[in-house]
Amino acid sequence: MPARYCDGLSRRQAIRLGASGLIGGLSLPRLFERTANAASDKKVKAKSCIFLFLQGGPSTIDMWDMKPEAAVEVRGPYKPIKTSVTGTLVGEHCHRSAKIAHKYTILRTHSHNDNGHTTGCHYFWTGYKPNFADGTNSRVPVNDVYPSAGSIVSRELGPRGALPPYINLPHPLTAGGPGFYGAEHAPFVIESDPVQPDFEVKDLAALEGLGAKRLERRKQLLGELEKAEKAGTQDGRAATMNTYYQKARDLISSPAARKAFDLKSEPKAMREAYGYSSLGQCSLLARRMVEAGCRFVGIDHGSWDTHFTCFPSLEKELIPHADMAFSALVNDLDQRGMLNDTLVVMMGEMGRTPRVNGDAGRDHWSMAQSVLFAGGGIKPGKVIGATDKLGQAPVADPVSIEDILRTIFDLMGIDANKTYLTPLGRPVPLVNGGKIVESLL
Amino acid sequence: MFRTLSPLLVLLAVGAPAHAAVVVKPATVVLDNPESSQQLLVANDKPGPDLTRAAKYTSANPAVATVDATGLVIPKGEGKTEIVVAQGAESVRVPVEVRGLLKPTPISFEHQILPILTKASCNSGGCHGKAEGQNGFKLSVFGFDPQADYQALVMEGRGRRLFASAPDASLFVTKATGRVPHGGGRKVEPAGIRHKRLTRWITEGAQYESAAVKPVVAIEVEPANRVLALKGNQQLQVTAIDSAGVRRCITTEAEYESNATTIAGADGRGWVHAADIPGEAAILVRYMGHVATCRVTVPQPGVTFARPAEVNFIDKHVWDKLALLGIAPSELADDAMFLRRVYLDTIGTLPTAEEARAFLSSKESTKRAKLIDALLERPEYADYWAMKWSDILRVDRDAINAAGAVAMTRWLRKSFAQNKPFDQMAREVLTAQGSTTAEGPAAFYKVLGTPEVMSRSISQVFLGVRIECAQCHHHPSEKWGQDDYFALAGFFSGVSRKNLPTGAEAIFAGPTGTDLLHPRTKKPVPAKALGAPVPTFAPGTDRRRVLADWVTAADNPFFSIAAANRVWAHYFGRGLVEPLDDIRATNPASNEPLMRDLAKHLRDSKYDMKAFTRTLLNSRVYQLSSRTTPSNAKDEQNFSHAVPRAMPAEVLLDAISQTTGAPEKFNGWPEGVRAIQVWDNRMPSYFLKIFGRPVRASVCECERSNEPSMAQALHLMNSTEITAKIAARAGVARKLADSKKTPAEIADELFLATIARFPTEAERAAVLRAFDGAADARREVVEDLLWSLLNKREFVYNH
Repeated sequence: MPARYCDGLSRRQAIRLGASGLIGGLSLPRLFERTANAASDKKVKAKSCIFLFLQGGPSTIDMWDMKPEAAVEVRGPYKPIKTSVTGTLVGEHCHRSAKIAHKYTILRTHSHNDNGHTTGCHYFWTGYKPNFADGTNSRVPVNDVYPSAGSIVSRELGPRGALPPYINLPHPLTAGGPGFYGAEHAPFVIESDPVQPDFEVKDLAALEGLGAKRLERRKQLLGELEKAEKAGTQDGRAATMNTYYQKARDLISSPAARKAFDLKSEPKAMREAYGYSSLGQCSLLARRMVEAGCRFVGIDHGSWDTHFTCFPSLEKELIPHADMAFSALVNDLDQRGMLNDTLVVMMGEMGRTPRVNGDAGRDHWSMAQSVLFAGGGIKPGKVIGATDKLGQAPVADPVSIEDILRTIFDLMGIDANKTYLTPLGRPVPLVNGGKIVESLL
Repeated sequence: MFRTLSPLLVLLAVGAPAHAAVVVKPATVVLDNPESSQQLLVANDKPGPDLTRAAKYTSANPAVATVDATGLVIPKGEGKTEIVVAQGAESVRVPVEVRGLLKPTPISFEHQILPILTKASCNSGGCHGKAEGQNGFKLSVFGFDPQADYQALVMEGRGRRLFASAPDASLFVTKATGRVPHGGGRKVEPAGIRHKRLTRWITEGAQYESAAVKPVVAIEVEPANRVLALKGNQQLQVTAIDSAGVRRCITTEAEYESNATTIAGADGRGWVHAADIPGEAAILVRYMGHVATCRVTVPQPGVTFARPAEVNFIDKHVWDKLALLGIAPSELADDAMFLRRVYLDTIGTLPTAEEARAFLSSKESTKRAKLIDALLERPEYADYWAMKWSDILRVDRDAINAAGAVAMTRWLRKSFAQNKPFDQMAREVLTAQGSTTAEGPAAFYKVLGTPEVMSRSISQVFLGVRIECAQCHHHPSEKWGQDDYFALAGFFSGVSRKNLPTGAEAIFAGPTGTDLLHPRTKKPVPAKALGAPVPTFAPGTDRRRVLADWVTAADNPFFSIAAANRVWAHYFGRGLVEPLDDIRATNPASNEPLMRDLAKHLRDSKYDMKAFTRTLLNSRVYQLSSRTTPSNAKDEQNFSHAVPRAMPAEVLLDAISQTTGAPEKFNGWPEGVRAIQVWDNRMPSYFLKIFGRPVRASVCECERSNEPSMAQALHLMNSTEITAKIAARAGVARKLADSKKTPAEIADELFLATIARFPTEAERAAVLRAFDGAADARREVVEDLLWSLLNKREFVYNH
């Protein structure tokens, strides 16, 4: 069932529009550039980041920022429950996460002023407000100028293993494109949902009927034909194709890469712990991909745009899926000793209205959203900030999109003040302003 | 400030021809205000190095004027004196007059202070010029709003930015000179000319305007062209001309920027230094919204070559340029390379094995010219060019609708098939109206929406001028400002969309066009074209007709250049001006005489696209090999060799389908339809997506990605789709395997079909070895050979 935004634009459409280029990769000049960057003495806490993006806008007032004292039309039907951290309460349907509240931190004061989906996604992923109105700009890739956070990580850090540095699944993020950075920093998109039994990464599986003998013959023939170069394709852009062929070959032939994508090799219990939902299995796959060297995994999880009769879908699907996926991921990373250098973030492009509407739903509310952070050098077990009695806005020190991006980049050892020029020659810093959320560190 | 008397007098005073005479420019100097200065230029009258920093300077009377070792003359007291310039055994005396020190002309903020802020980058986008300013002090970006900047300095900040009683203690001055901590560091040299001007301006009461100061109308840079040796130097001299015709040296005040710093750069004093890499750079000089460029050429030393024969003027201009740069052109491409390239470029289609065999075996001396003629008459020519222009004119099914997209595609296809003159095509686009589903370009206006988007899209497509920057601020590297932007948009204010009784939409261009309001002043900006006078509109006319007349007029300064450059870029992989739709004084063509003559040729041939294309394709330059020589391997912009290019997604898919004999089946389309014929840009296709099909979201050809990627490599090597084509039951590999052909004959056939040539001895031997090792698996070997050829760079690239 395709998830639709309230503006009538289906998420699929929005996604397709967002996909100006689809694939990550690396050309030689960038390789050199990165070597130069590596000399920076910034402290690296998070080597990788797994981002659970709850697209449509999660109702965090029903999950991480309960208002039990407020009137019923605000507090909703759910009860707060205790967690492993004394004094911290979460919604009753987040009971798995409640048990491990000491492993993550809830930031309750994220706030911005863009109440649209495509515009909000653009603002979040790029750190820049778009120059189009929400929903009216449905025909262009949503971030065709400004690069997304994942593309920035790709450009600044590059890969650290067999896998591409920036991956989206199970489809591209609405504003996850590379903008003016170009295709080499576009995400490698796994357009296939790991919750499906026939899940596979496109063009990576061994071709049927091609035995080792034929593979060897092809390799040998191509090698010999390339040797006898008649045209001038041995240098310049054409030669960079070689790099990609080599990387593609590595990916196909790399046991590490193949293993990373082979979800079936996970024990059944582990798959069950993450939950047989799209978000659950994507999160499990993300952990495997980070193990194999991916820097930034953006998981797109839709259907959070709950304007109508929201509670049944929240309690039956959305919240349990997010609760299971997030808690299993954090536990799993922790048990593998990966939590210290893997940052996990869970949020959407906005929160939802504190007051339940006439259709028993909650509408767009970018003024307040709770964000979950785990691992990657953050200080766990905290609740940062508070919203007012009705959950309408932070009572003090709102944390902006720029603040969040700056903090993520800082944890990953990226200088957020670094500036690149757009093709029109405009200087664009990685993050325009903002400050590091010190209380998180 | 100073005035220059005719430097020609000095130039003409040439000594005996046997030895070079020293020439100083200007011949006389007038300095007419306290902060004025004059940069001298010293050289021989014969070609040779710049001597400005080699010469020795002395002032006859340092109480009147002083001169430093770089040849910069500075006023000290009113009166007359001479600067003696000694170079070798010769010396030249330059009379200097200093005045206006005792009662200087009051300073104008707009004309004299603002340039200081700009030169010091105070108002750049990264500093106080950004939307929210910097630490509470906000300037308009690049100084596009002088009054607001004046306000910010004089009135805001609780008045502490300027102290009339103690000018030098003004926060503005102490920050700028770095005497108090300043995030931007020291931007103005203490006790320098600019520092003095700032304090004098404050002393005089910080006036916005000064009646005596005339606005600058133009700037000139000397020299405008220079050939430098590796690591060579050249002093620039920049002169501003005001509305009264007075010339003043602004060398120390102008800004300098190189478009290729790896080849040559310039410091803030206009001192150009070449690096140790041969090539070309344009030094961009900016002052008060005016721009001038100095083109620096750094030849490759020690390269000589015999000029190849010239087929037409293209060859002449390119050889001239290569000779100047010391770059030897590549050999003529062999028949196979030419054949494959000209097919792909002209009709977006690979030659078949039979076509290749016939062409390669022909002994006719005019076979290349004949092939060019034949290709231009093929139906695929119109298919391919309609596809290209569908990208540019944004034929997007989702933005128009299916019927409208078909209508535009058919109009484009027909226009190219009947070789409609390009100026006529442009006029039809510019004045399009009527139903968006009727055969015509009206739907373009539906996609564009507002007058602003219409005007900047039309400007980019047909004039090659990207005026977008000027929507919000003065174009940073051009003369266009917000006035120009909204004046152009005023031509489109009468365009509207209406629903027809049939349910279709229509574009109307009523007589209701109005002038648009300037976003800052809120005053109407009279509609006018770029750099043109304000036209009068006869009552009831579609304003766009007036614009169309201007665009297609013989003396339009942009249209023929933009059109010629676009076609050139298609066939040569790179525009003479690059990006191809970013034509401006500060982005010169890599070969100006060629650009000029190409545009003229297009006009002379009445915009006959096929005739123009014929000229390009018959030139030897087009037919050069892509194999490089040692001296041209690094050349990217002078057309010394062909450059391998990625094929457009549709062309590559068609090439694979044709080569494998397994046509692609497009959902909902009849069998046999080729990807270049598909008008539906939203048709789902993983292949087209990863190989960079554009979404047609802008009029920029740059939207089509030609970047290689890992997904492409994975797909070509390891996808079930391509594997299925290679092994297709009715496909080429199966047919060859089942035939009686020998392995050598099969190799010939597949090489011709994919890369339009016969295998080399080594390649043939490699193929035969593969067959030898697998006598029982002939079909598999044929498939593996075809797979190898499809993954060979020589196949994937157009070279």
